[in-house]
Amino acid sequence: MLKNLTQFYRPATVEEACALLAAKDRRNAVLAGGTHVAAVNDTTIEGLVDLGALNLSYIRRTEEGYAIGAMTPVQDIFKSSMLVGPAGQLLREASGKIGSTLLRHAITAGGNLMALFPWSDLPPVLLALDAQALCRRGVPKRTVSVKNLIETGPRHYMDQGEILVELQVPEFGLGTGVAFHKFSKTSNDFAMITVAVRITMQGETVKEARIALNAVCKKAQRRPEAEKELENMVPTPERIAAAAAAAARDLDMTTDFRASREYREEVLPVFVRRCIDEALHQALS
Amino acid sequence: MEGKKHMNVTMTINGKKRSFETDPRTLLMDLLRANGYKSIKKGCGEGSCGACAVIIDGRPKNSCLLFAAQCEGAAITTTEGLGTPDNPHPLQSAFVKHGATQCGYCNPGSLIAAKALLDRNPHPTESDVREALDGNLCRCTGYVKRIEAVMDVASGGKKA
Repeated sequence: MLKNLTQFYRPATVEEACALLAAKDRRNAVLAGGTHVAAVNDTTIEGLVDLGALNLSYIRRTEEGYAIGAMTPVQDIFKSSMLVGPAGQLLREASGKIGSTLLRHAITAGGNLMALFPWSDLPPVLLALDAQALCRRGVPKRTVSVKNLIETGPRHYMDQGEILVELQVPEFGLGTGVAFHKFSKTSNDFAMITVAVRITMQGETVKEARIALNAVCKKAQRRPEAEKELENMVPTPERIAAAAAAAARDLDMTTDFRASREYREEVLPVFVRRCIDEALHQALS
Repeated sequence: MEGKKHMNVTMTINGKKRSFETDPRTLLMDLLRANGYKSIKKGCGEGSCGACAVIIDGRPKNSCLLFAAQCEGAAITTTEGLGTPDNPHPLQSAFVKHGATQCGYCNPGSLIAAKALLDRNPHPTESDVREALDGNLCRCTGYVKRIEAVMDVASGGKKA
């Protein structure tokens, strides 16, 4: 419960929302779908800024790929017929594995990224797709990579009065394959391991590899050492095994009641290998 | 819009416009139950069980994870809006006919999830029904009967 919540704002413009978030006299927090904020115990939040009236729920085709409004329910991504290429497939697949139908209608694309929980399913997918985040601080806007946004920490942006308004996801053509695995005890439970992979081939060699994880560590991240094992190489079984092993190496894995660090260390390379195999199969078919 | 410690929220519930004076912290589930919509059940309180489901602007959602203030201007359907004992909704009749009622605690949420599905997709597959009800736990484990009930309604009663 938000014990000290006294103010609820429903701004009509992005400018107004940013001004409220930047206010220094009280701590205002962003309210997107509400699935996290409504359940959390946080005594520091004094005001909520509901982004529900900003018309940020949409999926659009762009020259490069897709533009997805930050307030788009993940159920809309899951069911979208517009998301057709490898990137679209990865977005739909991961969105469909977020919680239940009731939750997916409330959880937003932007909320799933900005809350940045270890169990969030979209962050590794957005990392694997080299997605960009369009952020606004009132009228001024800038585009930052999702990778930078995650590394900097979304809280830093919001505390400065900057909000995420749109995700920009490039689409990839023939020669690209993707795969997503979420390993959890039940389909509605939080993940113990989440892996998203994109492989783009050039002839028989891997031109670009993206291997991103979540749930095994504190926040979503790419595994550059694993990607290097594949890039500019012919993806032999030995090379794929090396990449899978590298993905789990030197990673500060978490232990919780769902799975121990040791268990995650054993299982993660298996899921990475499976994802690489699936992505390669798609890229080469 | 200036935020307030005490605020008025107006929403259309089962076709009737209602206004409530509330606190920003109040959850939709608590507001509705306090105002007579007792079909909404408090189960887990964290979005896992679906007993508190309502339809908000065409979307089925857990009302335990929504602030009432988020629903300003929204159209809300609760199970009270589906039918009456004398004139039940076809889904309610089908739940009775197929023995999907069990202890009854999860029924309102399950009915709401099923109604939202049929509103969007009048001819779902069984897979669609299973997916639509995936957030509605039944601790009596009456999972098969309610799927049969929804499929019955979707087929216009031809599968009865």
